[in-house]
Amino acid sequence: MFKSKKGKALVWGFVSLLVMLSFLTGCGSTSTSNKKDGKWAGQTITVQMIGSFKLQDSTDPISGQKIKGLQALKDEFEKEHPGATVNIVTMPWDGYIQKTKTMVTGNQADVYQMPGLDSGYAREGDLEPLQKYIDKDHFDLSKYVDNTVEGWETVGPDGKKQIYGLPVFGDTRFILYDKKIFKDYGVKDLPEHPTMDDIMNAAKQMTGKDPVTGQQTYGVYFNGQTPEFLITDIAEGLGGSWGSGLNYKDMKFDFNSPQYQKALNWLISLEPFAPKGITSNQGSEKWLTKNNNIAIMLDQGPGSLITKINAQGLQDRIGIVQQFKNDKGVGGLFAGSPFVMAKSSKHKDLAWEWIKFSSSDFFQKYLWEQYNNIPVIKSAYTDWQSIKDEKQFMDPILQALSTPWTPHYPWVNAEPRNDLSSGVQGALTGKMTAKQALDKIEQQSNDWLKQQNQ
Amino acid sequence: MRSKPNKKEMPNGSSKKLKGNQWMWYIFLLPTLLGILCFMVYPILESLRLSLFHTSGGGETWAGFDNYKTVLTSGEFWNSVYNTFYIGLFQMIITIPLGFIFASMINSVTIAKNFFKVIFFLPNVTAIVAAAMIFTFVLHPDMGLLNYFLGKLGLPQPLWLADPSTAKWAIILLGVWHWIGFVIIICLANLQAISPELYEASTIDGASSFQQWLFITIPNMVGTFAFLLITGWIGALQRFNDVYVIGGPTGSPNRSIQTVVAYIYEHGFTGFQFGLASAATYVLFVIILIFTVFNLKITNMKL
Repeated sequence: MFKSKKGKALVWGFVSLLVMLSFLTGCGSTSTSNKKDGKWAGQTITVQMIGSFKLQDSTDPISGQKIKGLQALKDEFEKEHPGATVNIVTMPWDGYIQKTKTMVTGNQADVYQMPGLDSGYAREGDLEPLQKYIDKDHFDLSKYVDNTVEGWETVGPDGKKQIYGLPVFGDTRFILYDKKIFKDYGVKDLPEHPTMDDIMNAAKQMTGKDPVTGQQTYGVYFNGQTPEFLITDIAEGLGGSWGSGLNYKDMKFDFNSPQYQKALNWLISLEPFAPKGITSNQGSEKWLTKNNNIAIMLDQGPGSLITKINAQGLQDRIGIVQQFKNDKGVGGLFAGSPFVMAKSSKHKDLAWEWIKFSSSDFFQKYLWEQYNNIPVIKSAYTDWQSIKDEKQFMDPILQALSTPWTPHYPWVNAEPRNDLSSGVQGALTGKMTAKQALDKIEQQSNDWLKQQNQ
Repeated sequence: MRSKPNKKEMPNGSSKKLKGNQWMWYIFLLPTLLGILCFMVYPILESLRLSLFHTSGGGETWAGFDNYKTVLTSGEFWNSVYNTFYIGLFQMIITIPLGFIFASMINSVTIAKNFFKVIFFLPNVTAIVAAAMIFTFVLHPDMGLLNYFLGKLGLPQPLWLADPSTAKWAIILLGVWHWIGFVIIICLANLQAISPELYEASTIDGASSFQQWLFITIPNMVGTFAFLLITGWIGALQRFNDVYVIGGPTGSPNRSIQTVVAYIYEHGFTGFQFGLASAATYVLFVIILIFTVFNLKITNMKL
């Protein structure tokens, strides 16, 4: 076999090819077209973005509308920054925590969209503080919606809180309700700031057979599979809080406070007015459809809310009110996404330009109009017609966006979140009392904190 | 029949050529060996190293056996071990005998044998992730197919995935549905390998069909049962995909379906406690090792 020189050469060639291929496989190629002219000549940055974003144009599966791809953002940025090249890497929400961690560990991007900013990236020195760039450019932070910049402040390696990320789009929580079911039962619409009693009374009245349609309806729904932010919001409404501190050394949990206990007991007493299956997130399949059977939906986020409501023609039927706030008007999950700059970036000035670009009308309007991402600049709510057209929903969303609990919960992407969620489920499914569940959560969270401080 | 040529009988030149050609095949294996080194050996050793450090992917501090201590004293970890064994045990208790009975029935029919094989094997070729998603609808407390039939029969309609006491059984049901086709095919293969002469001789001796099944078929199936038991346990102890799809990394509700691998995933990839997750991985490895040795002993199976 392979006796001839030609044959051997062929084999060696084949083997070399295999070895080369095995090394090359997995090494993704990135477009690094080094442009030679312009102020930013030869500079390339990679930007990671999370969500339903696509680089190319596509069609929305709900509304059927054409959606422009992120290529338009790239083109605009490169036009405004001659010589610069932007590579955009997109990833879906599913598994974004793990994927982001992998990218950061491997220094794979210059700018990251980082909803999990408090997962230790800044603390471990992976991110660049932005204050010096803000100062250098006299960048006006007041253009952002109130609270959205402060909300993303986090602690660096020195334990001091500062700006590591600037918001790209917002996320918030509110309460939605079905005005038709309220009307069928003769129940008054919810006030702008409903109390816990308002919710409980309305939920009680609307659980049963709808007097008009004869269909089974349920007074309330909440996602019992991920109830951690809901219970925290209820506790905040009662004047409590999750605890304090951003730095692990100073952090203190207060998950077994009287406010949390009252909140959990309230949820337990509300549960009979919800469909079966809330702890596995089942039972709300008809929500935001014409056959809806749920009167009040707690802890809703914007997501593709407006697209869904418009697609189903439910604009006149769905009401929106605020979640529970404390006596200072503060409460609820602070969420969304900021852009952060990697410490390892070779072109930090260009990375900063991208972060600034994300606060432009062009960028913000683009994300809102193409992907329904909630804008984080004030001008959107005063100037844009597309926001004014959705005033009914966007005014309360802006209010919710401006009054959440800030800064970001530091346990949002860590073990205490899982423990809180599982413990609340334990109480909701009758496996333990509210006090037992919350004492356990407190203990687990403190154990986790102890491990972090080792 | 050709025998292997004796080295001494071969001319010197041929021997050298053979040696050269033998090396050539190792070169062909090189990419695979490199792959094994990079993607198996290195991660295994790196995981062992990580288990001795406190790390979240960035900086590291020496932990010694702290992570092992944390894992072994964690109520959540032992809860996940309990869930894993509970789900695995009942899945095997149901699937292996049931699969064997179905295989015996299929083996005894003369028509549509292949049809039954295909029908029963279909769930096994369905992706478990897709199957898990479908089962969330099948097990829906109000609108689910299973509760619909239970209701028609006047039986209680459990909450299935929404109640910690029934959630494990929902997972067992999914596992049985998905694995039974494999069990049937393996049992069928062995059933068809049993010598017909044994049955003929026993018929002459006046044995009934049931006696043949009990005293000929079952003893001849012991090796297959042992194989199914060992591979089944290894699979059960590594269970993750379907429980993750249904209950998330914490195995909702109330960690009732969280398996050991889900516990590892939760701590490694949602909590960034890579050291702790690596330690839990090695504890799982030891559990699987001990349990497999135990299984090999009780089933008297040789590797």
